[in-house]
Amino acid sequence: MNALTFELKSAPEFPLDVSPLIPDRLEGLDLQKIKALKVEYGKQKTSVSSLFRVSGRDREHIRIQGSTSRLQSVGKDMTRGTVEISGDVGKFLGQGLKGGRLEVHGNAGDWVGNRMTGGRINIYGNAGDYVGASLPGDTFGMNDGFINILGNAGDRIGDKMRRGMIVIHGQAGNFCGSRMYAGTIVVLKEAGNNTGVGMRRGSLILARKPAHISATFRSCGVLKMQFLRLLFTQLLQYGDEFSLFRKFGAEARRYTGDRARNGKGEILILLNTNSGPQ
Amino acid sequence: MYIKLAGGTVYDPVHGINAEKRDIYIHDGQITRKPNPDVRIDKTYDLGGKVVMAGAIDIHTHIGGGKVNIARLMLPEDHQKDPVKKTALTRAGCGHAAPTTMTTGYRYAEMGYTACFEPAMLPINARQAHMEMADIPMVDKGAYALLGSDDFFLRMLAANKGREAISDYVSWIINATQAIGIKVVNPGGISAFKFNQRKLNLDDKNSYYNVSPRQVLKSLASAVRELGVPHPLHVHGCNLGVAGNDQTTLDTIQAADGLPMHLTHIQFHSYGTEGDRKFSSGAARLAEAINENHNISVDVGQILFGQTVTASGDTMMQYEGHWHAHPKKWVIMDIECDAGCGVVPFKYRDKNYVNALQWAIGLEMFLLVNDPWRIFLTTDHPNGAPFTTYPHLIRLLMDRSFRNDMLSTINKDAAAASILGSIDREYTLYEIAIMTRAAPARSLGLRNRGHLGSGAAADIAVYDDLKNREKMFAKPCYVFKDGELVVEKGKVCKVINGGTHTLKPGYDKTIEKTLKRYFDDYQTVKLNNFRIEDDEILEYGNSSLIEQPCL
Repeated sequence: MNALTFELKSAPEFPLDVSPLIPDRLEGLDLQKIKALKVEYGKQKTSVSSLFRVSGRDREHIRIQGSTSRLQSVGKDMTRGTVEISGDVGKFLGQGLKGGRLEVHGNAGDWVGNRMTGGRINIYGNAGDYVGASLPGDTFGMNDGFINILGNAGDRIGDKMRRGMIVIHGQAGNFCGSRMYAGTIVVLKEAGNNTGVGMRRGSLILARKPAHISATFRSCGVLKMQFLRLLFTQLLQYGDEFSLFRKFGAEARRYTGDRARNGKGEILILLNTNSGPQ
Repeated sequence: MYIKLAGGTVYDPVHGINAEKRDIYIHDGQITRKPNPDVRIDKTYDLGGKVVMAGAIDIHTHIGGGKVNIARLMLPEDHQKDPVKKTALTRAGCGHAAPTTMTTGYRYAEMGYTACFEPAMLPINARQAHMEMADIPMVDKGAYALLGSDDFFLRMLAANKGREAISDYVSWIINATQAIGIKVVNPGGISAFKFNQRKLNLDDKNSYYNVSPRQVLKSLASAVRELGVPHPLHVHGCNLGVAGNDQTTLDTIQAADGLPMHLTHIQFHSYGTEGDRKFSSGAARLAEAINENHNISVDVGQILFGQTVTASGDTMMQYEGHWHAHPKKWVIMDIECDAGCGVVPFKYRDKNYVNALQWAIGLEMFLLVNDPWRIFLTTDHPNGAPFTTYPHLIRLLMDRSFRNDMLSTINKDAAAASILGSIDREYTLYEIAIMTRAAPARSLGLRNRGHLGSGAAADIAVYDDLKNREKMFAKPCYVFKDGELVVEKGKVCKVINGGTHTLKPGYDKTIEKTLKRYFDDYQTVKLNNFRIEDDEILEYGNSSLIEQPCL
């Protein structure tokens, strides 16, 4: 079946909340009802048909075309299916995501995967700040799931993160993995300052040594960790974009911290051995 | 302008009017006698078959001061889950357990409340508390100043300063903070907590000042009495929430020694240690003591199930409670050696033995205390439940079969351990009118509130006489505030600002000399900046400053 496609008629002038456009909410609705659905557009509620050309049938596979960074809360509280976006998206991509898959062929704004508890987000461009981070006042950030960003990401990635995995193929901003409780963050290019500051547990896996590591992290030297082999083997199965993990071995320089808290977290800096897992 | 409320069924306990069909006339914001026949009636409301009561008064609700703001800051999810849209009249807001100021005012008015009293205003925070309360529209406000753990008072007590000096200080605080009463929280215990004491019984000594809670209670209760403050000392006693504290509460009643005393959120102070789980109801014992001691009044602090936040000055007991915080975050802080502040979010669960029994204990207390003039309807908002649950609570009290239905849904062991199922009593509308209107007004010394006699302020709530009392009290047909129609069909139809009730007891001015020296040496503000002038109360946005007379 062809995907249910929402094509923007023109670039929106105001913030547009597209949280109703998810498989859970569209199941069983005929095309007329979908067109009559209300979405919040600026201060008003507007029908879907006045903003989008709607076509296609598959309610489990939704495509949004011509998206810009005005589109907010894409895939909010989604539990299944796929939402594919061509173009940029704004804030709160996949907020409260519980399952399913979000594919963004463009850049994403701040707060990607906020309060996410499952599912997968793929971003083929860059992401803003606070990827998988907690909103002010929240106990935890991202609670489970998988976020994969092929470009760069901003500051405070995985702030207060509790569980799950974030893979960033490009650069990470400052305070990557700050105040982390648990979970895994992988950064394949440079990470910014204060990486992992305030982390309690969890693993920050960096392919390159950052320019600055906080004084509250203690070097444990180079260790061979079989868990990295398992992790990379697992990642290889997630898609072609992970094939570069072949070149990393199980050896890494380990820093434990943040010792200003309980020091059970770790920063692992991979040693490029070119002899990947078999 | 004359307004006539025609043919309503009137409940006015102050004048002994129980369900009588009467007309009420309003003139210039006050209730008046029937005017001469030649006077033109400008507006008549036909209230045939409807229930007419004075506007309700909440004697104990945490609506202002630092702790509510801390709760708001700490619980953004509370706000995100309960947004309130703006309308043509009302402003936007949010919040379930710790609502925004505006929303607090609208919601109170929409239940027929016309006055609310903030029970824990720290003197050093008084200005902030009054500013915050000035932002609460629709209702009149007032506050009790919190004493008993402040350094100056404990120093006086430790140095055996005479009764008069203490009275002067108490009076000066009431004047300077624009309060209407005095509250004491865990007498001396908030201070003791800072000296690493984690428990303070009635006769234990504060390790630094060498003063016991009994001494604090006695000196403050007699000071309040001597000054002629109408509201008795508002006591949040020792050992809040500890199993076995029913004995402490009985001892506190004895310690009052005949002096008038108001024991607040008594439900949290009525726990025994019987049974397998060493947690049982002490309501029967305490209710008996309250029935016998006519100097004692109580408010219940009923808990109702669901998510809320507990906010209290009692750092000692809030620290104990922080292990049960839900969601897991909490704040305990000192406030300028005046007292403390503890905010712990909490979720009461009906399937949890302790929570379910707490629920039953509160209701037992309501039903076993005979005199509705001495027991007030509160949930200790937001500690037991948000104030928006009052209609539900009223239904629990007025409808025995509904109560028993609810009892059958809670934790089985708790239901079996409680005598609630065997209590037949159902509150009447007349008794509800006493406990939510007449009695609080009398206890607080509000002469022109809480009744419908001539000369009273025209704060009136009109309800449909529905069988479902929850629906009835959740949505009044009309609410009048000072003669103006402010709520129609349970929705705000006119936004007004209420006034602030205060008290001005006299004192010997020489105390200011001692205080000035103390302020210069230890406090963060100067004495003259500490004092809140009458003009300020109006500048903050209150419509009026209502000075109540001393006894």
